Formats: sequence, C-alpha cells, structure tokens
Amino acid sequence: MKDVSLFIPCIVDLLLPEVGEATVAVLRKLGQNPIYHPDQTCCGEPAINSGYQHHAIQAAKHFIEIFENDEAIVCPAGSCVNTVKNHYPELLAGDDDWVKRAESVGSRVYELSQFIVDVMGLDAVDATYQGKVAFHRSCQQLRGLGVSEQPERLIRAVKGVEAIPLIGADVCCGFGGLFSVDYASISEAIVKNKTDNFINSEADILVTCDPGCLTNINGYLSRNHPGKKAVHIANLLAGI
Amino acid sequence: MDIKTEQFVQVAEEELKNERTRLFLSLLPPAVSQRRQAAMSTFSDPKAAMSYCASVRGAAVDNLPDLLEEFEKNATANGAKVIWARDAAEANEFVVQKAREKGVSYVTKGKSMVTEELGLNPVLEQNGIEAFETDLGEYIAQQLKRPPFHIVGPAINVPPEEIRDLFMDIGILEKATADPVELGLAARIYLRDKFHHLKMGITGINMAIADTGSIINVENEGNIRFTKAAPQTQISIMSIEKVIPSIKDAMFQVRLLCRSCTGQKISSYVTIDNGPKKNDEIDGPEELYIVIVDNGRSAKYHDLLAREALRCFRCGACLNICPVYTTVGGYPYGWAYSGPMGQVLNPMLLGQERTQDLYRASTLCGACKEVCPTGVNHPKIFRYYRSKDVDGDTEFGGKPRPLMESIIYKFWLQGVTNSWSWKLGARLARPLLNNAIKNGWLRKKIKPLDNWLQARDLPLFPKKTFRDRWKDLRDRS
Repeated sequence: MKDVSLFIPCIVDLLLPEVGEATVAVLRKLGQNPIYHPDQTCCGEPAINSGYQHHAIQAAKHFIEIFENDEAIVCPAGSCVNTVKNHYPELLAGDDDWVKRAESVGSRVYELSQFIVDVMGLDAVDATYQGKVAFHRSCQQLRGLGVSEQPERLIRAVKGVEAIPLIGADVCCGFGGLFSVDYASISEAIVKNKTDNFINSEADILVTCDPGCLTNINGYLSRNHPGKKAVHIANLLAGI
Repeated sequence: MDIKTEQFVQVAEEELKNERTRLFLSLLPPAVSQRRQAAMSTFSDPKAAMSYCASVRGAAVDNLPDLLEEFEKNATANGAKVIWARDAAEANEFVVQKAREKGVSYVTKGKSMVTEELGLNPVLEQNGIEAFETDLGEYIAQQLKRPPFHIVGPAINVPPEEIRDLFMDIGILEKATADPVELGLAARIYLRDKFHHLKMGITGINMAIADTGSIINVENEGNIRFTKAAPQTQISIMSIEKVIPSIKDAMFQVRLLCRSCTGQKISSYVTIDNGPKKNDEIDGPEELYIVIVDNGRSAKYHDLLAREALRCFRCGACLNICPVYTTVGGYPYGWAYSGPMGQVLNPMLLGQERTQDLYRASTLCGACKEVCPTGVNHPKIFRYYRSKDVDGDTEFGGKPRPLMESIIYKFWLQGVTNSWSWKLGARLARPLLNNAIKNGWLRKKIKPLDNWLQARDLPLFPKKTFRDRWKDLRDRS
C-alpha cells in the first residue's frame, strides 16, 4: 500500500466532510493508504482572489511546509490544486528558494480523478450507479489544470451510468467565491442557467470535481428544484 | 460619452430584469462564439496561430515608443500629418479646431471605439458640428443616446420595432415597417447623402504600420471606406497601442481579429491608406491627419502587468464567452469598453476608484483568457487590481477595502497558519453561521451569508469536521 497525502480543502473540512470521507474511501478501494496532516488549513485561494496576496503568501508557505515531504498529494477540488500548482509560484516570485519549494510541491499535487487516471494509470474505479449522469466542467480544473477527460472517463466507466451530454458544460456555474455573495443576483442568474441546462438534460445527477461549484449548484437546486442534486465525483466513485 | 462605471451594480440589476436583454443574450453571444470556433478551426493549428498573434501583440506593446516614432516618421513621409494628443481634451480640441478652420457644419464618422472613449460626439455637438455615425448600429445607438451594448454590435439588442419608431420619429423612414432590410436601406439612403460633398470624415484605426506609415481599417459595412475616401479632410484617430511593426504582422493580426470578432476569415472591407491623395491620383482626401491619443496609457506603461491590457485589439471574443457579460450585457460596464476587455482597460484608463465593480464582478473563470488572441491574462489582471486596493497602492487611484473585510482576513491569517486557532475559529463560528443559515437573528447581520441565502440554500455546518472525523476514519482502515 502506498501512502497518499490527503489535501482536504477548507470547504470540505468544514462544510462537506462527506466529500473527504468519500475521497478516503475511493483511495482505499484502489489500494492506496491515505494519510492526513491535521495541521493543514486553507490553501489561500480566497485571499488570492480577494487581493490579499500577503496573507496568501503566509498560507502558501504553511501549506508547503506541511506537504513538501509527501510523494503524492491528492485533493478533491480542482481549484485548490490549481492554486498550489499555478498560483503559489507566482505568489512567491522573487524568493527563489520558496519558488523552488512551491514548484516541487506543485508537481506532486493532483486532483482526485487526475491522480486516478494519470498517476495510477486506471480507466475505471469499481463503482455502481444506476442512472443518467451529466458532468459540469469546473473552471479552474478545466482551464487551470487542463483536466476534463479524466473525470469524464471515470464517470463513463461506473457500472449502470448513462453519460448525458450537458449544454454549456464548460461554462462557469457563477460561484467565483466572494463573487457569489458580492454580486449575488448576477451569480444567481448564472447558476440558474447552469441548473436549467442540467434539468433540461434530463440527467438524474450532475457530477462535479469541485466543492465550490457543488455548494453553489446544490444551493440553487435545493431552493428551486428540490430532489435534484449535484454530486461530487468522490461520492459517485465511492458509492456513498 | 458619460462615464457610468460606478453604476455597474444598479444597471446590472435593471438589465437582469430586462426580458429583451435576457433573450438576446441567450441567443447571440453563443452563436458568435460558435462561429468564432468554426473560423478558428480553419487554421491548421489554431493554438499556434493564437500564440503567434499574442507574441506579435506582446512584442509590439513592449516596443511602443520606438514603433510610434517610426510610424510618425513614415506616415509623415507619406504626406499625412501626425498629431499627438495627451488626453481626450487635446484630441477633441484638435478635431473641433480643424472643423472650424475648414468651415465644416457636419462630419461623418466611421465606427470607432476610441472616439467613444474620447467622448468626441458630444464635444462636436457642443461646438455646433453635427456628427453622423455611419455604421448602422452605431447610428442607432447614437440616435437613442445609448452606450454601445456590444463592441461589435453597438445596438444589436435593439428590436426592429423600436428602430422603426425611431426612424419614423427622425423622419428617415417613409412607410412604417419593422423589416430589418428596409430599415437598413432607409439608413443607408439617408447616410449615403452625407457622403456627397463631404468636407470632413472621422474614423478610428485598427492598425498603424510602423515601417510603411500606413493605417488599416477593418469593417463590414463599407462606411469607413466612404468616410476615408469621400471627404477633403480625413481625420483618423488611434490610441497608442494600435501601432505594429510591419504589414506582415498586420495581415496576420487581421486573420485573428476577424475570426475572433465575427467568425469571418476576413471582413468585407480591409482598407489600407498610405497618406492623402497624391498629385497624380484622382480619389482620396486632400489632407490626412492621424491623431495619436495617449489618454492615460503611457502613465501606466511602466507597470508590466497593467501594460498587458494594451495588447487588446478589441475583437470582443471575451465578451461573447464571459458568464457575467452574457448575463448582464454591455450597459452595466458604463463606458466604451465592456466585458472582460473593459474590465482590464477601464481601471487603467479611468482609475480604480470608479471602476472597482468592474474588476470585482468576475468569477475568474478564465474563459476570456482562453479565447483572447492577444494573450491578455484577464483574471490575473483582475486579481492584481484587487490586490492594489488591499495594499493601499494609490497609483491607480484605488481605495482601501472595508474595515470589516480586513479584520476578517486578519482572523483568517491567524487561523490559516496555525491549525489550533483554525479549529477554534471553526468551532466558534459554526453556531453563528448555522443560526444565520436557519434564518435566525444573525442572518441579517452576516451580510454575505444573507446575500447567498436570498436565492440559494446552504447546508448546516456539521458538528464534526473532516479533521474531527479523521481519527475514526484512520482507525477504520
């Protein structure tokens, strides 16, 4: 069994721990040994996006110190992985030693589906779901990490799944962190568009790899289309 | 034109309720995006074409001072007169003065964003010089006194019935009809007459070629060509970043510009002027003035990230793909440049104080960056402008963030670097947040949460965080 270090985003830790549990379950199912550093906190993405760069630098250094000795770091959130991989080196620019450390950690951080497909070399996880499934391509995962084929392949391989194409699958869900509360009515109109496309696709569930999108889409669905749900890919693959 | 960038939120709220805007936005931008994609796929390697174009733009912007001087030298050798304008007032004053000198009562205009930026039309009107926009959409927007809804289609959201009524009002339509072809014809007949005996025509410039001193305009209606060919005096106005080294660069840029803009391989008209009419020529203006406008650009030029915004050649691809633009349309951005293009340009040109909402009202989804053929990294520039506010950097005229926000981030920093305080903070915050989520008395006190809960639910924060659950999870293995 190989050790895999869990990078649990703050939103998963505090609001959606079941996504973290599912991540553990999937990794174990695949014969990995998830370990967890309890000193981890938040990667700093909210601070970076709000312009608090100096705060984010502290968060980045804290993250690097905790994770830099791990061989593989796996996270159930594309946007947090994107922060570590792509924003840390930018954030720390000017300090060569820290940039090197950031790039080194960054090269070992993977979004869950990316880890399963690209690192473990698998096309499928043994899982079953009877129903139609649509997939939302989260922005940072798609454009920041270039990861889209990996989760879609894993979803198609789940027994019983009928993969349904989603119109505007790669259009933002309108979350954008603080954007969703600072410009709530614009954000609402954008997420409505996303959920309309989902409802019209007649898929049973909408799968995403990002807990931010998940919270946003489910927040709108729960209010307007009770019974319809977005599901994190870890939960689909874990069957929980 | 009036600058209304501060009214972003208010106008956005209005536009969210505007059925016509919503319908239009659900149809056109996706269609144009699709056309763009189809046109891009005619390149054997679209990505390579885009990155080549981006590097041409990047190199040109980095080399602006030299290129501008070279352009001035060669344009002057062609017989054009080059005028440098530090700001809008200087540029507008030159045009007015020239119009007076020539005894001009009206001018025709080719569609030009830079003259929108300068607010040239109102200045001309104030000085008793009538300005006729000759691009159909621009003409309609001008008559309706509205800012451009979209950079390519300024009045594309206006229904034909409204145009019919407008044209009846101003008396250019004989028989009431909402047939778009008839409406176009009416405007055409009316405006065509303005080109006869035209004394002065005013256009923008898509590209200025440094090594030949030529100027290039790209259009589909032909009115810019008329505005350049018909008058005695031609005034063409450009902002400083429009200059590029050679015709070869220009011809490549045209391929990307037209594909990104309207999904065409090339627009209906691409006109290249090398100075005014020569002695042995029968057509063309007797005089050509090229006004090069700075208007705040060179003051920010030293800032390498903000400078990146100068790469933009105004194709508008970022508008059609932006989740925010395609939700609220062009009006909320409140000025000549809307969508992500305006969100990077306007703060640089107008200062951050009056444009805060522009660089904040973005989900940072990166779709704009992905389609940009000039290599502008919009999300990075938005984050940069945001950080200037936080850092109290006043060079761009930003203003400090609300005290509450900085306090929250102080606590956040305390927690993020120390897992004990993180845990403690989470424990303390949970009942408060859950009270708000359950519609308790705290809901109205926690504004962000209240905003969220207006249209969306949020699950309650569970008693046991993942961290708390880990012990059990670990032991279960």
